[in-house]
Amino acid sequence: MKRSTTLLALVLASALALPTAMQAQELRVGFTLDALTLDPANHRNRETETIIRNMFDGLVTRDSDMNVVPELAESWTAIDPTTYEFKLRPGVTFHDGSPLTAADVKFSLDRLTKENAMGGQTSPRQSLLGPLKEVVVVDDLTVRLILESAWPILPAMLPFQELVSQAHVEAVGQEGMAEAVNGTGPFKLVEWRKGDSVIMERFDGYYGGATDIAPLGKACVERVIFKVIPENSSRVAALLAGDVHIINSLPTHLVGQVEANPDTTVMAVNGTRTSYIALNNQTGPFADIRVRHALAHAVDRQLIVDKILNGNAALTNGILSPDALGKNKNLPAYEYDVDKAKALLAEAGFPDGLEVTMDVDGANKEIAEAISAVASKGGFQINVVVGEGSMLTTRYRTKGEPIDGQMWLTSWGNGSMDPVGIFVPTHRTADRGNSSGYSNTEVDALLDAANIETDRSKRADLYSQAEAIVNADLPKLYLWVAQDLYGVSTKLTGWRPSPDSRINLHDACLK
Amino acid sequence: MTTVTYWTGDAGTAKSETLFQRNMKLFASSRLSMFFLFITLGFVFMAIAAPLIAPHDPSDADLFRRLLPPAWMDGGDWSFPLGCDALGRDILSRIIFGSRVSIFIGVTVILVATTIGVLAGLAAGYLRGWVDIVISRLVDILLGFPYLIFAIALIAMTGPGLQNIVLALAYKEWVIPCRVVRGETLATSGVEYVEAARAMGASKSDIMLREILPNILSPVLVVSTVRMAHVIILEASLSFLGLGVQPPMASWGSMVADGRSFMLQEWWLSTFPGLAILLLVLSINVVSQGLRDAFDPRFHD
Amino acid sequence: MGLGKFIERLLQLIPVLLGVSIIVFVMMLFTPGDPVAIMLGDQHVTEELENALRHDMGLDLPPHQRFFKFLSNALTLDFGLSYYHRQPVWDVIASRLPATIELSLAALVFALVVSIPLGVLAAVHKNSLLDRIATVTSLFGVSLPGFWFGILLIIFFAVNMHWLPVAGRAGFESEVAPITHLLLIDSLLRGRIDAFWDALRHLILPTITLGLPMASILTRVTRASMLDVLNRDYITFAEAKGLSKTKILIKHALKNALIPTVTVAAIETGSLLGGNMVVETVFGWPGLGRLVVESIFVRNYPLIQAAVLFYAVTYVMLNFFADILYTMLNPRVKL
Repeated sequence: MKRSTTLLALVLASALALPTAMQAQELRVGFTLDALTLDPANHRNRETETIIRNMFDGLVTRDSDMNVVPELAESWTAIDPTTYEFKLRPGVTFHDGSPLTAADVKFSLDRLTKENAMGGQTSPRQSLLGPLKEVVVVDDLTVRLILESAWPILPAMLPFQELVSQAHVEAVGQEGMAEAVNGTGPFKLVEWRKGDSVIMERFDGYYGGATDIAPLGKACVERVIFKVIPENSSRVAALLAGDVHIINSLPTHLVGQVEANPDTTVMAVNGTRTSYIALNNQTGPFADIRVRHALAHAVDRQLIVDKILNGNAALTNGILSPDALGKNKNLPAYEYDVDKAKALLAEAGFPDGLEVTMDVDGANKEIAEAISAVASKGGFQINVVVGEGSMLTTRYRTKGEPIDGQMWLTSWGNGSMDPVGIFVPTHRTADRGNSSGYSNTEVDALLDAANIETDRSKRADLYSQAEAIVNADLPKLYLWVAQDLYGVSTKLTGWRPSPDSRINLHDACLK
Repeated sequence: MTTVTYWTGDAGTAKSETLFQRNMKLFASSRLSMFFLFITLGFVFMAIAAPLIAPHDPSDADLFRRLLPPAWMDGGDWSFPLGCDALGRDILSRIIFGSRVSIFIGVTVILVATTIGVLAGLAAGYLRGWVDIVISRLVDILLGFPYLIFAIALIAMTGPGLQNIVLALAYKEWVIPCRVVRGETLATSGVEYVEAARAMGASKSDIMLREILPNILSPVLVVSTVRMAHVIILEASLSFLGLGVQPPMASWGSMVADGRSFMLQEWWLSTFPGLAILLLVLSINVVSQGLRDAFDPRFHD
Repeated sequence: MGLGKFIERLLQLIPVLLGVSIIVFVMMLFTPGDPVAIMLGDQHVTEELENALRHDMGLDLPPHQRFFKFLSNALTLDFGLSYYHRQPVWDVIASRLPATIELSLAALVFALVVSIPLGVLAAVHKNSLLDRIATVTSLFGVSLPGFWFGILLIIFFAVNMHWLPVAGRAGFESEVAPITHLLLIDSLLRGRIDAFWDALRHLILPTITLGLPMASILTRVTRASMLDVLNRDYITFAEAKGLSKTKILIKHALKNALIPTVTVAAIETGSLLGGNMVVETVFGWPGLGRLVVESIFVRNYPLIQAAVLFYAVTYVMLNFFADILYTMLNPRVKL
């Protein structure tokens, strides 16, 4: 009898004692997905990058306002349009104590760009470095990046790449790189429990971090855990229960509850994903511009944003997000006007209204149904069909081939915040993201010119002109740019969300 | 050709009819079973008469009614007794119409699966030889697939939608009645009236369909009702994973799925359809339990 | 029974595995969706990179070659690289398997611990209140949709009561050097009571959700079988001899009554392994079920094929195990 009561007491005591001691210096993030791999060069996945970025630094990085700032590189200059020289910061060490040298930079970049450079595999991130031809080591702290052709957005694209240690990669091999981490970031890996969590602890030998992002020095918290909680309700429940301190992808309808809870609050940031309805411009009813305009007048976008997205989205009349380079601020909006919509439909030959089918993937089902409900007053009967994302991509993003479908509610992300990553693929003739079959040679010419223009304001101007033309053609119904919503504990300080979905915890502290 | 009715055959069928009727009377004597049978029939009636009983059109969406609470709560409205969903559609009406989907899928899948399974099982159990080997191998292979994974893979192949769900579930479901029927057929192949029929020159299909089949109907009936409940939950699980019926069609499973991210506050979106699933499946299970008790000779006190 | 039968069963495994592989392969072949496009999403890629990735995945080979390559590699337990994770499939599956095994075992233990006493008592006190409660509860147990019930449990026990954690398998503090990779066992072996308690707290709700239907089935099987045994001649005989009821129960009835329970449990364990994915999704449990569902959505063919083979092998082995158990417990039946 006695033994079991002692055991019971012991168990209860340890259960109760546990939480208080450990929690003070352990920051936990409730995250939607697990990392696919811990090798910075072997994935093409935003969530993986978000997690890894805490353990690996890059030559440059972005601050919370999306400016490119130096990180491992102290400075850089463009010697000519195809040659960039980077000066490395001295005194940086990897987690294992070995120093970072230019040779590591060359190794990391070669690994990313050369065919079969990763134990027979090619890095999926290769095309993120565009026309990078060669990396030359000038001395221990200087490298030169040589491009095949002028590429003004090189600095904007470099934050996506992180540096690895050549010695480490050679020691653990390609397969080992998926799990063994040796970076220069503010945290080092403790354990990766696949599917469950990524556990990191503070690297005390950290060089301090990007000089333009205060404070410098080692990380504030001792330990960071990314807990994988894919289920929305469970993730929010974990935040409300105090199990985690930050959650991403906070559903809009739970904003109220998180705000109402005294220990939590909501942080929002303008997203980089534009939502739109791709319309088939080649065949079917939407080939007629009047029908497309009619649709624009029939959908009350503001109502949907207010009711379904809780107001957490910014309407847009073009493909570029409101903060993007070259955004045309004067694009005319197609006002919600039911009569106008019906009149346009009648003009186009549909006096009794038009029945169409809208394809959507499971995640956007609610919005599609809302649009359908709202548009019915404007003469459109929209039948929503839910399909799998991959199948819909095959049907609509046909690179010029005929499109099988009428409307597709979808979105396009623009992680680099540069128009070339969104405008070109979605609107250039037969480009890989052009899901409308849209083709306008004027727009193509403007986009091509902007690609090679080095002057920033001239580039912006070219994109603005293109947006104006596209707005008149209305190949797609442009909806909104949703905000990224994060739920955070009130104990958290020193952290702001970032439009590129990064969760960099270097400066995050727990009270 | 078989216009002659054999005496043994007659007696055999006459015997089994009486037994069947006797067992059904036993079933009817259990108040519990009858009560839940009425509930089940109530759901069937609900499904058939849906347009007449539902207070609203299940697809009638109004964003201003979004997430309206049930009538007895603050802000509720008695014309929407169970509240409204994320698009302002009446939950009660959607539950009523949703019964059509659940019952349709439950009944259709079981009908298709049982028909195929019974025929396959009869053939395997009676004809033996190559037929048996092929069918048994196929059964083994299909059983080696976890149910949901097979269904998901099939739907990935064919696309979602009511028809495809029925097929995806039926594809694996038939092996269960098949196994039962095969076992029973093996057991009855040697029975006297079958031997007699064979001696009289009856064709194989006649024997299978006229002699053996009527005698194994009871276990098939019991298994079918049990499986029907299971299939309804499977359909709900598929909808939950996003592979269910197309909007605006409401299936209880997809209603629970749609409401699950609202569970923390607007609990009524998922709770009521979940209760509907529970009640229907429970009723079918009680009925099937009653059938089993009635048909199992060991429980005749 | 002996080696001969075992070999015969093993040989039976081969056509099943072959059949399963072919069926999965053909299904994947006819499923629309391009793994490369899915992996890359909206992102900018050059055509050369796309081709290089396709080559890495072996997708540039014609189908029959891909299939034979898969088969021949599978014989050496090399299942290729997972498209999505770009790591060996074996490693990916192996890292997620212990979680599923632990959850399934826990659900099995839960089901047995609940159903056997309940079923026996219900049979012994037939038609009593306990019997009725047991019957009703077990009927409820098989009628509850798992995903709905799981969410309700989370809301009540984790969010409202704060008694239990919301999701996941264990907290950081419960890091224990792995021996069996099953957290409950490893933490005990290492003497870490705190880790054991933490793992247990995370395991409770998913175990109940997963194990409840099985517990319900086993309760009914046990009850029915116990009733059957209690009516047998040898029991009446023992009663007539004047033996105490408890003694009769334990010495004579129980062992025979449990035969169907145990065999059904062995067979149903297969469905536990397979039916995991809904529970794993709701509770964020890092197991194989969730991994496989996700793999189907991203067309991660190598992983799907390997996982399906695993399930098939497990199913056949469990069936075989059930047959052995049956013959061991029931000496009158020869295999």
